[in-house]
Amino acid sequence: MALLPVQALILTGPARQLPQHVQRPCAREDRVESLRIPILKIGDILIASIQVNLHDASAVQFKDDLLQKIHDTRAKGVIIDLTALDLVDSFIGRLVADIAAMAGLMGSRVVITGLQPAVAITLVELGLELPRVITALNLEKGLSVLQRLTAESGDGAA
Amino acid sequence: MGQPKSAVIRSDLDIVIARTMARDMARTLGFSAIDQARIATAVSELARNIYLYAGTGTVTCREVEKHGRKGIEIVCEDQGPGIPDIDLVMQDGYTTSRGMGMGLPGAKRLMDDFSIQSQVGVGTKIVLRKWRS
Ligand SMILES: Nc1ncnc2c1ncn2[C@@H]1O[C@H](COP(=O)(O)OP(=O)(O)OP(=O)(O)O)[C@@H](O)[C@H]1O
Ligand SMILES: [Mg+2]
Repeated sequence: MALLPVQALILTGPARQLPQHVQRPCAREDRVESLRIPILKIGDILIASIQVNLHDASAVQFKDDLLQKIHDTRAKGVIIDLTALDLVDSFIGRLVADIAAMAGLMGSRVVITGLQPAVAITLVELGLELPRVITALNLEKGLSVLQRLTAESGDGAA
Repeated sequence: MGQPKSAVIRSDLDIVIARTMARDMARTLGFSAIDQARIATAVSELARNIYLYAGTGTVTCREVEKHGRKGIEIVCEDQGPGIPDIDLVMQDGYTTSRGMGMGLPGAKRLMDDFSIQSQVGVGTKIVLRKWRS
């Protein structure tokens, strides 16, 4: 059963304020390594494809890594491809919305690509329509959306 | 009928284990891909609530049958602080943790049956069911 990747997680700061009684898990920490989602740079666009059954700590790690990379590379656009995800719950949904808002503050546009039909349906039924997140059917369409968006914002020629 | 399966929730990794367990059982029982996603998402929400608000608890999945119809039943139980006002937490957007307040009402929408029992200082038990179409 390929449930979890062999590499597990680095426990970073909690995603939100945890009640005092919640213990951070420690039993597994000794076999913990970093699980980092690779972020590729092509021109002034960053592309990340989420391929694992994400748990919360590695999702938060991804957010931090991505924002840092946007800052370091001054990327104008970001594509987060979710083709391989079979589930987006409220935690991941909120994280994606947060990433889009934070990247926006840094002058970078985020496009989410590849949501599976079952994932899109459950997201809406869950009550998360993510109205402010830009989506595209697949990576190719996502790229053209980004090119248009960054051209419109006036600095596309730079 | 197959054996019930349980997962103990202690960490955020256990949330992944619980929702994968529920999805696997749903698949075995012949639920559609969309229903599998609904079931796994509901379990992810409730397992995370156990982790966040109670610290530890259990998620148990089993096959059920009613009037010749097959389904899956999921029981999420903890001995945490309990919920003082159930009507309030079932409202969209109500949260005590800067979440989105979508977990409980969303899980209810994703499933066919949803019942919640909770007592302050004793714990919370939520039973979910989904019937195969
Ligand atoms: N097992 C539980 N024990 C005690 N309180 C709970 C439990 N589950 C939920 N609650 C309470 O109910 C509230 C609403 O839960 P719900 O899952 O709907 O939203 P949330 O967890 O706050 O945010 P989201 O799930 O959208 O990230 C929580 O903020 C918490 O106060
Ligand atoms: Mg919740």
